[in-house]
Amino acid sequence: MATVTKNETQPTRVTEEELAKRARRKERFQTWFWRLLSYVVVLAIWEYCSGRVLEEALLPGPIRVVETFFDIWDKGKIPSAFQATLTRIGVGFGLSFFIGAFVGILMQSKWWAGFFKDAVLISLAAPGLIWVLITAIIFGNRAIGPTIAIILTTFALVTVNVSEGIKAIPKDLLGMSRAFHIGVVKRNRHIVIPHLAPYLFTGLRFGFSIAWKVTVLTEVFSSSKGIGFEMRISSQLFQMDEFLTWILLFFFFALFLEKVVLEAIEKRYFRWRQAVTAS
Amino acid sequence: MLGHYGWRVLKSPIFARVLFPFTMLALWLVSLDTIEKIWPFAIDVLPTPGEVGRFMWNELITETLARRNLYETFWISLRRLLTGFVIAMVVGTIIGLIMGLFRAANAFFHDWTMVLLAMPALAWALFNSLIFGFGDKGPIITVILAGIPFVIVNVREGVRNTPRELFDMARSYQVPRLKTTRHVLFPSLMPFMFAAARYCFSIGWKGLVIAEVFGGQDGAGWTIKFWYDAHRAHGVVGYAAFFVIFAILFERAVFEPISKRTFRWRPNLAGAEIVEEVFDEENTLEDFASVPSSEMIDDNE
Amino acid sequence: MAEIKIRNLHKEFGIGEDKVVALDDVNLEISGHVFVSIVGPSGCGKSTLLNILSGIETPTSGVVEMTSEGHEAAPGYVFQAARLLPWRTVRDNLLFVQDDRSEASKKRCQRYLDMVQLGDKGEKFPGELSGGMQQRVGIARAFSIEPDVLFMDEPFSHLDAITARSLRRELHHMWVETRKTVVFVTHDVGEAVELSNRILVFAKGGRLEDDIEIDLPFPRDPADEEVAVAKARVLRKFEELDLLAT
Repeated sequence: MATVTKNETQPTRVTEEELAKRARRKERFQTWFWRLLSYVVVLAIWEYCSGRVLEEALLPGPIRVVETFFDIWDKGKIPSAFQATLTRIGVGFGLSFFIGAFVGILMQSKWWAGFFKDAVLISLAAPGLIWVLITAIIFGNRAIGPTIAIILTTFALVTVNVSEGIKAIPKDLLGMSRAFHIGVVKRNRHIVIPHLAPYLFTGLRFGFSIAWKVTVLTEVFSSSKGIGFEMRISSQLFQMDEFLTWILLFFFFALFLEKVVLEAIEKRYFRWRQAVTAS
Repeated sequence: MLGHYGWRVLKSPIFARVLFPFTMLALWLVSLDTIEKIWPFAIDVLPTPGEVGRFMWNELITETLARRNLYETFWISLRRLLTGFVIAMVVGTIIGLIMGLFRAANAFFHDWTMVLLAMPALAWALFNSLIFGFGDKGPIITVILAGIPFVIVNVREGVRNTPRELFDMARSYQVPRLKTTRHVLFPSLMPFMFAAARYCFSIGWKGLVIAEVFGGQDGAGWTIKFWYDAHRAHGVVGYAAFFVIFAILFERAVFEPISKRTFRWRPNLAGAEIVEEVFDEENTLEDFASVPSSEMIDDNE
Repeated sequence: MAEIKIRNLHKEFGIGEDKVVALDDVNLEISGHVFVSIVGPSGCGKSTLLNILSGIETPTSGVVEMTSEGHEAAPGYVFQAARLLPWRTVRDNLLFVQDDRSEASKKRCQRYLDMVQLGDKGEKFPGELSGGMQQRVGIARAFSIEPDVLFMDEPFSHLDAITARSLRRELHHMWVETRKTVVFVTHDVGEAVELSNRILVFAKGGRLEDDIEIDLPFPRDPADEEVAVAKARVLRKFEELDLLAT
């Protein structure tokens, strides 16, 4: 642009843009700096507490934990324990999901909503521990115990999400499809299911997050393999390094599943929805 | 035969709600019968409603085999819970506030808040029991660790959701800062603080119980473990029922009235029933718990 | 009453390619017991002008002077949305913007609540009132600090036609009774013609294009022929400007 009158203003505009870009870069740098610093601080505190504040045997430091990890990996305990636990979660939560969804659909009717109201209430209010203990004492070591405990602890979350999802189906879209004489199957495919999908997904995510915790808890009480079992053994034998390693191991694995896998799926497929919740 | 009125009663949701516990009771009795006859090896021991009822009654009139009676036990647990709750609220609010106000603080604490959110109370409970042995410290610390991330997250959201238009309005009327803080900032934070308290209490209770199971000599958690170790199934089921009653009672008797009074001004909360509120809350909670990826976007603004 | 002097007022947002000129070299003067309306299409800077006058925003360049009998003029502000504190009663909302909670202040607040026919609603919460009522509380609030000049930003645009009509009448009476300087922003030409002595026409890009005197007697009935003619005149001005803008 060869306009003489604007010569003076142009350099100022460019510098302003540059300033803004620099400010943004600085912010991003700051964020990453503080974030990394927090890891350094936490690890340092941990290492320090391990030697000085509490004995090494009581609170192993981060390095010891890493060593232990390779130790038990070599002994081959990890895959079998993970397999046992994950199978339990899969079966238990799988069932819970279907039961929860079914009840959620039923609860669209006022009568059934009244019927299940207290069931949902109790499931949400009760500490998972009590289901664990009840099923442990009734079923002992049998596989059905943990399964029922998982169902009782998590079905309500799925029910709530499904119920809210169905209630929130945009009636105007359904009316529109009726006006255009669109068949039930097609309507379900293009309206109902895409609408419900995020709710189901939310129920899945949060139900799973609770399911794995309950599963590990049941294993602590009443099983002969699995991660919870390993934790119980190592804590009884006062092998703190193994105990810590097991819990951190599973914790990071669950975190990985929850945050990385499920959230990634959520972001990719449900981008069109801003708030992926049942509220 | 039933008549018009009778039919209407049967179809009402209230009847359905009443029917539920009876249905459960019926199923219970039926399974006692059938399992004994058909499949006796499916279970170890199944208590009868009668046994459980008798047990609960005895507990209520303080006739118990456990070391302490029902009321003392729950009081011990409640004491621990409240101590941990207060500490978690105070520390959590401070952290939540600075995270909401300062970018650097948010970046610093963010990942660890998420870690705390996802960590199972079991891990803390076992850990603390091994470190602190018996006594109050282990359970209290478990409560703090379990509840604090919920406080942090809710308070941070509160700071982020301050109503800018109202602050602008106060500024245009040249209202002094202190007055604005008192009449605009604090009330706008109240709903979030309240949600924080509710979650902290509820999660804290669940964590406390687990902590007492593994590392205590008294308290509600220890007592239910006591009955479990003693192979008294009716004790376990009975105490579990007390747990549930306690949680619901507290919610109804404490949080709901406070909520109604503090939030009188909200136009449509009057008839909200506990289940609906729990519904909404679980979801708002998970809202906050699912924060990280959206956070990333925020950081780059 | 107040005197407002604006010289070479310029306001820009953004930088570089994204720069937006909200107000372009505006010069104007307002003084005395007048009701001045600012009309224009969206994007013509009317809200920005109001924000600058009330101190919420600062100008990029230019001078704004607001005085009243020697001292700096105290402004009152009525927003598009009532902006009431939802957690305080109506009475407390008015008290919130007073200098103190003395008996005199409380009496004053009650007086203005009575003026907007809400004298008995003092203990209600905003959530319990209709949109029109909430806006009336907002108006009472603005008047209750007895400002020298009153700024109103499309206060009736969110209300239904019937409520808006009765609120306009109420506002007119309050203006007459309290003898204030009122600066009133609106996109509704009819409303401007009904209420004001003077209409400032802004065009897209923030330029003050025209300054029209409406010399008809008060109170004005929109159904009146002369009022309709005045409205048509202003509307024609609008059309001319639109053509120029494109």
